[in-house]
Amino acid sequence: MAAADSPSTALRRRDLCSRGIRLAGKMRADVVDLLDAYVEQQGLDASASVAAVEGVPLAAVERWDEQTGTQRLLENLAAYRAFRALLAQMLEEQREQLGEADAGLGRALAAVLLQVSAFAYHLEELLRLESRGIPGEEEDGPPPPPRLSRFEQKLRGLGVLRELAHWAVRSVRDLRQLAKPSPASGAAPGLAESP
Amino acid sequence: DSHVQYERVGADVTMKCGSMDWDAAVTWTANGTDIDESHLNGSYLILKNVGLSQSGQYFCYEGSSWHLKYQTNLRVGTPPKEPVLMCRSNNYPKGFYCSWHLPTPTYIPNFFNISVIHGTKDMVCEKDSPPKNRCHIKYLQLFSTVKYKVTLTVTNALGKNFTTLTFDEFAIVKPDPPESVVAKPVPNNPRRLEVSWQNPSSWPDPESFPLKFFLRYRPLILDQWQHVELSDGTSHTITDAYAGKEYIIQVAAKDSDIGTWSDWSVAVHATPWTEEPKHLTTEAQITETTSVSTSSFMAPPTTKICDKGAVVGS
Repeated sequence: MAAADSPSTALRRRDLCSRGIRLAGKMRADVVDLLDAYVEQQGLDASASVAAVEGVPLAAVERWDEQTGTQRLLENLAAYRAFRALLAQMLEEQREQLGEADAGLGRALAAVLLQVSAFAYHLEELLRLESRGIPGEEEDGPPPPPRLSRFEQKLRGLGVLRELAHWAVRSVRDLRQLAKPSPASGAAPGLAESP
Repeated sequence: DSHVQYERVGADVTMKCGSMDWDAAVTWTANGTDIDESHLNGSYLILKNVGLSQSGQYFCYEGSSWHLKYQTNLRVGTPPKEPVLMCRSNNYPKGFYCSWHLPTPTYIPNFFNISVIHGTKDMVCEKDSPPKNRCHIKYLQLFSTVKYKVTLTVTNALGKNFTTLTFDEFAIVKPDPPESVVAKPVPNNPRRLEVSWQNPSSWPDPESFPLKFFLRYRPLILDQWQHVELSDGTSHTITDAYAGKEYIIQVAAKDSDIGTWSDWSVAVHATPWTEEPKHLTTEAQITETTSVSTSSFMAPPTTKICDKGAVVGS
């Protein structure tokens, strides 16, 4: 259980949460735009079902409302670190096959990657605020992906962007939960308690 | 023997009189009325190109003894067309409901079976009690990119049909309209109207899942709506109303991150504050006239000068 919040910590958390909500909201809008462009330029079917792709963090969660604040932050942080690596890889693959048509896509991908990195850092800020240890990044980063065909890369990219779009919505909801004043003290609950 | 017999509209129907021979003398009745001999072929009843009106109770009696030999309840109808299915979440993130109807009636009983699959998981759809064609599904997972697949099958004695819907969790989120919409003039402000409303009561957690709102308003004398989108709060002050004109106002709601707009709320009417026309009471008139030359004084039509205490317009 986290020590009772000092007003300044609660205020700081509230500020970080609302900035995080805006950042995630903007990121979601950009990811949705990127997804539309990606589907079109890669000649994919927007309604295609993409099986869960290994290494892509799933936004789907059960009993979401029962999660503690720390769980929310740690799961978010792990996800956005994974997306940072996945988007960097997509960008690299994109550059390998860079055609003129893909330049715009490359820029949009880079912009989203930047936002994902910024958001990951924001989550670390929130964890630091709670004097929660920031989980170290896996030194050697995620295992190198299996060599995929061009079409498999495209499908994986679709899966990555779809999950990221859903994660952005989840993050907004998570941050709203964290920003909620706790019923008793009226101050935002310590991370461990916030439902 | 007696049973229910379903036949399609337009079908030709032949009924045997139970175990009676073809050439036996019989009498057929429909809903208590004797059937004309022209419909008989021996003891068989022949109904050509049946219509809905020929549904009913058919009896066959042995000629002389009037023993009842056969009885059937003929139900004329049609096989079901592809049902119309709609799924929606108006209480996100609790769950969603699906409702359905048939585009055209079948005139005979229909049985609906609905299956809801999320990825590989079969989900329970809690049916409302008849005649409501609706059932409710609880979300087991949130924020899932896996699509939901809902298949509705309808069956009746004359045929079967089905329809399938596939959708994303976020796409079907559509709140109910805002409730308790109130519009009031703002005293001393001839161009303002204060509008307030409440979150739809079906929306379970506005704090974690806040709604944003869309307000539209216009004077009754114009057709063109004015719109304003509000990302939080449940009230707004219109500051550009035409003075003295009655306004019609509606509000819609949407989850601030996902889904679609609700239908418009119930319309409310209001007219901005207007200055009360100056009604001078009799006393005021006298004091007025002593300061003004008497030739210019005009008494309001309803007041007698010497009638003490009379107030115009009261």
